Amino acid sequence: MADKEATVYIVDFGKSMGERRHGREVTDLEWAMQYVWDRITGTVATGRKMALLGVIGFRTDDTSNELEDDPDYSHISVLSGIKQFLMPDIRELSDRIKPSKTNKGDAISALVLAIQMIITQCKKLKYKRRIVLVTNGEGPMNPDNLSEITKKIKEDDIELIILGPDFDDPEYGVKEEDKDPRKAENEALLRSLAEDCDGAYGTLEQAVAELEIPRVKSTRIMATFKGHLQLGNPAEYDTAVRIPVERYYRTYVAKAPSASQFALSTESASRQGKGELSAAAAGTQESPIDGSSLTGVRNIRTYQITDDTAPGGKRDVERDELAKGYEYGRTAVYISETDQNITILETYAAIELLGFIQSETYDRYMHMSTTNIIIAQRANDKASLALSSFIHALFELECYAVARMVLKENKAPVIVLLAPSIEPDYECLLEAQLPFAEDVRTYRFPPLDRVITVSGKVVTQHRNLPNDDLLDAMDKYVQSMELADTDENGDSESLPIDDSFSPVLHRIDAAVRHRAIHPRDPAPPPAPILTKFSHPPQELVKKSKKHLDKLIAVSDVKKVPPKTKGRKRTREAEKPLSGLDVDALLHQEKRTKISPNNAIPEFKQTLSQAENIEIVKEAVQQMSTIIQNQVKHSLGDANYDRVTEGLGVMREELIAYEEPAVYNDFLKQLKNKLLKEELGGDRRELWWLIRKNKLGLIDQQQSERSEVTEEEAKEFMSAK
Amino acid sequence: MADGNPHREDDAVEEEEEIDETSYRSVKDAVLFAIDVSDSMLSPRPSTDPKKPIQESPTTAALKCAYHFMQQRIISNPQDMMGILLYGTQASKFYDEDEDSRGDLSYPNCYLFTDLDVPSAQEVKDLRALVDDEGESRDVLSPTNEPASMANVLFCANQIFTSKAPNFLSRRLFIITDNDNPHGDDKSLRSAATVRAKDLYDLGVTIELFPISRPGHDFDNSKFYDDIIYKTSPNDPEAPAYLQSDPKASTAAGDGISLLSTLLSSINSRTVPRRTHFSNMPLELGPNFRISVSGYILFRRQEPARSSFIWLGAEKPEIAQGTTALVTDDDSRPVEKWEIRKAYKFGGDQVTFTAEEQKALRDFGEPVIRIVGFKPIAALPFWANVKHPYFIYPSEEDYVGSSRVFSALHQTLLRDKKMALVWFIVRKGAGPVLAAMIAGEEKTDENGVQKYPPGMWILPLPFADDIRQNPETSLNVAPEPLIDQMRVVIQQLQLPKGLYEPLKYPNPSLQWHYRILQALALDEDLPEKPEDKTIPKYRQIDKRAGDYVLSWADELDKQYAKVSAAAPRPTSTLVKRGAKDRASEQGDDGTSKPSKKVKVEEGSGGFEEEVRKHHKKGTLSKLTVAILKDFLTSHGRSNAGKKADLIERVEEFLEA
Repeated sequence: MADKEATVYIVDFGKSMGERRHGREVTDLEWAMQYVWDRITGTVATGRKMALLGVIGFRTDDTSNELEDDPDYSHISVLSGIKQFLMPDIRELSDRIKPSKTNKGDAISALVLAIQMIITQCKKLKYKRRIVLVTNGEGPMNPDNLSEITKKIKEDDIELIILGPDFDDPEYGVKEEDKDPRKAENEALLRSLAEDCDGAYGTLEQAVAELEIPRVKSTRIMATFKGHLQLGNPAEYDTAVRIPVERYYRTYVAKAPSASQFALSTESASRQGKGELSAAAAGTQESPIDGSSLTGVRNIRTYQITDDTAPGGKRDVERDELAKGYEYGRTAVYISETDQNITILETYAAIELLGFIQSETYDRYMHMSTTNIIIAQRANDKASLALSSFIHALFELECYAVARMVLKENKAPVIVLLAPSIEPDYECLLEAQLPFAEDVRTYRFPPLDRVITVSGKVVTQHRNLPNDDLLDAMDKYVQSMELADTDENGDSESLPIDDSFSPVLHRIDAAVRHRAIHPRDPAPPPAPILTKFSHPPQELVKKSKKHLDKLIAVSDVKKVPPKTKGRKRTREAEKPLSGLDVDALLHQEKRTKISPNNAIPEFKQTLSQAENIEIVKEAVQQMSTIIQNQVKHSLGDANYDRVTEGLGVMREELIAYEEPAVYNDFLKQLKNKLLKEELGGDRRELWWLIRKNKLGLIDQQQSERSEVTEEEAKEFMSAK
Repeated sequence: MADGNPHREDDAVEEEEEIDETSYRSVKDAVLFAIDVSDSMLSPRPSTDPKKPIQESPTTAALKCAYHFMQQRIISNPQDMMGILLYGTQASKFYDEDEDSRGDLSYPNCYLFTDLDVPSAQEVKDLRALVDDEGESRDVLSPTNEPASMANVLFCANQIFTSKAPNFLSRRLFIITDNDNPHGDDKSLRSAATVRAKDLYDLGVTIELFPISRPGHDFDNSKFYDDIIYKTSPNDPEAPAYLQSDPKASTAAGDGISLLSTLLSSINSRTVPRRTHFSNMPLELGPNFRISVSGYILFRRQEPARSSFIWLGAEKPEIAQGTTALVTDDDSRPVEKWEIRKAYKFGGDQVTFTAEEQKALRDFGEPVIRIVGFKPIAALPFWANVKHPYFIYPSEEDYVGSSRVFSALHQTLLRDKKMALVWFIVRKGAGPVLAAMIAGEEKTDENGVQKYPPGMWILPLPFADDIRQNPETSLNVAPEPLIDQMRVVIQQLQLPKGLYEPLKYPNPSLQWHYRILQALALDEDLPEKPEDKTIPKYRQIDKRAGDYVLSWADELDKQYAKVSAAAPRPTSTLVKRGAKDRASEQGDDGTSKPSKKVKVEEGSGGFEEEVRKHHKKGTLSKLTVAILKDFLTSHGRSNAGKKADLIERVEEFLEA
């Protein structure tokens, strides 16, 4: 478990904190709070009960603290005692953040109070203690008893951090010109205080700038397997080896915080009235709803079985009337309570070596999973000696090991690849999962460096193949776009993984924290560092420009205008391999009427030979009769898939032949009949299917010749 | 959503398979086998291998392939359909028609053996009976005197697809025949067949031909089938077509066994229809320079289907269809989708966002694969991986010329051993990832059938957030002599060709799961032992490497003695004192007792004998839970449960 921690933030609320300086858009206080809020919300976001914090303001208008009768402690307010900070605390605190009308109040006294608060809370228990003081250093400070304070801070192992706007920091490169002598004096005092306590002292600019760098959450290191790496079967052979090992995650995808589903609680829903409710839910309402009016949402599962005697052919059954089982093809296989584990393969935990492969010929794309490391059982020198010899032997032979891994008794085995990793101070095996036979899908694609014709001839010059000019231009471009050293060590052999942060995770994290403090502001844009790798580096783009221009010129790539996309271009391909003109044969056949049992092919063929719109209209007329008959004679939903297919084909074809109106007229008719129950009763489910499959009116977006606007099409579909 | 499965609590379901939501077609596949039954198809081909005197005829080989395909399909594609149509048979059968029906047969000499559907247990059984030649099952395999009309066969297939698999995204007709010219010079029969083939094309059915050459006569596609088969897939005319016929498949003239194996590998390679994961994705090579590619998933973990709830009240067990509805927590009021708001838990409260805001947070722009720069491929560490790869191949749909540019990039990266670093957004609203794009070469199997296609692979990389720290450990680098011994062991145990071949390793738990279900569904005896190809070949390991392992173990003992002599017993008061002390004691234990067995496992040296001793005396209960647990863990057994459970498990293990 993570350590308990207690932090007290001391914030300067003096009148002078309300000023904007050196051309900044924000006041000193606002600037300071950027840092403080980030820290506080960072703690709140962990949700840890024992991550406690308190807030003290000094140079406040009021005085409210334990020693408020002592004049030394006037104008200091404890805004929040040490506790787990929750949303109400954030709201309360944020209401109180404004500059005061006074400049009175001593930072050092506030520090004394903070120390006292920590001592009261933590006693002698194990805590991480921290005090963060943010001030512009312009207030009066009483340096008496400083050594006493330093001693106390060190004694109690409190980390002291002091920050301020325009504090001089030669290392970071901040130096304020024409600094007020009093501020200079205070800065010197605070700096020596921080240094005496082994704390940190810095300028606010740096602290705020560093907030941008996402903080990577560290996770507790836990073994996911403790057992043996085995060669051979120790139960049968004396020559078997077992090395005690442990396995840990090497990569594990950090998930972005997930949102839960909520609805307005019934009470607030009825209070708001229905109109407003829907507006709120549609996200059109300006202000977000605060959490208290929301209620959780859960899923309820209901189960249905076929029952010919029931209306609709189906009836509900209760969960506990049902048994467990599986599907084998379309046969339901029932498995009794006592046989629950019957389909589970009996296995025992171990990592068993199957054999070795050459690392040179391994295809890196076979990695299927996150990766793990395997080390020898800790504090077992003989095991680590044994594993080390294995690691080094693999390395020297340029081999990887293939192994069968079972993490726990009766868990499914997986095949893993083990690679040696040797660093000066660390040795381990790296592990990644490999595919099983069932995991491989063999989709076949033509070669990329030659074209093979229908007759089997191999062609090396073709419009789909690059010529020498293109190859040459590509070669030069790739070279010019080589990413330079990204590593601090100047190691060009590495990827910038350590500098890349999960954009979604950190953006959501930042947005949630931002919204917690500023519930009415829009969410901020993603921090630039998150999209650092979304484009090639500027200097690289500049450097490679001439090669890119050349490449663009010789490659002669042309964007296909959206209009000409679609089937027209592929007419050519609609011939059999022999190139035989089948249309001519069809012509001889003289198919005049579309037969219901071969409707789709005959519809397409009629259109492809249509010489005028009348023939198209006639074909559509026939199709619509066929489709309506299918609906009329459908037992329940039996024909719905056929109807959907027929509609889909008609829609596609009529878009391609630029006759959207013919389809639209038909669909309007059909909808009318469906909803009036003229086609064999209640057909609402079919209408729902048509909506779901987006088979609505063809709008102007989809076909230029349509007279239906997008809104009209939407309206047509939404009307029930 | 209606589905037949119990609700899963862990919503760990990865990204949904198909992204194309614009299509009205359902993303399913239907395959109809049309198997030619004729005298030549039925005549057995002698085996050239005297050890395997099995006689295989082309028809039986085809049926075996279909059976294999059916079983595989139940596991991998539980939603997809298949059927088997025999043609050229004496008998005819089409739904409720057969030769005893009154009136004319619609499709004479066509025998619909398995209707096009998701296979049922009974259909599996029937097909197996036919394959195994049980009883009178093969009576159906007697050929007619008149050859069947191909136009009729094709239209029969058309009707089956039209009625049984309407609106499927993929419908495929597999024709298996050795007759390259079924209608000779008969023009009218030929043109009728051609027209019916065009109908199938327009219906969206792809014909895939599996030609079998006759002894002394090579199958010649140009005689008939080039008029029947089309260049492009009707549903995806832009998709690059793979036109190569499988080099050896059609020439397997003589041998029955090789006929079966080539036919199998040829059919296996077409088990799943090619489905895109994303199409017309821009691949941006530089500012203002884009081409289009399509993406596919070629490796994906196949899991057993989830368990279902089953209704036993009816004659036959039936899967209950589940529906999920949303209700509020407080008063169970039904909630419509539009009422849902998204909120994040924060500080004991909820921080809410409107639906648009929520969407915007995940929006980092339009889908793209954007090259950020290039690196040597050696820069890609073994460990930098988080999931399965994506395969991409050029498409001419959005940018004419994409193929040649892609090809140029492919060749350049392959030759220079380079990779591209890419910014990858797989679809709108999906978080961007940084990925390595590497070029992959085409690979073929021993039958010349393509195994891995040529193209580019996108391997998503971990972010800094996804990297876990290594645990601390003490380093004991092995001295040279010990490494030398281990090297010999490794050299003895290379896998064939030094390669990992996934197809040799079926997933044992997946196979077992369905093997048991099959037995239960068919009411057969349960199999006793699973076939598990992932279990190491112990005998071979012992035979090939045993002696070397023993001498390595000797060396290890020697080296360890040196190390432990040199290192003083730990006396520091570090936190981990307990563990270290125990280990060193056991270490002493292990080395002091000479044993023939290889002993590396210092950890188990102590308790192993202790437990066995107590077991013999029947006093296991005197041992502590910790020892029992260590013992069980070291033998790969679960160590969960109470002491009594542990003892029971130890006994079970020692008495096995």
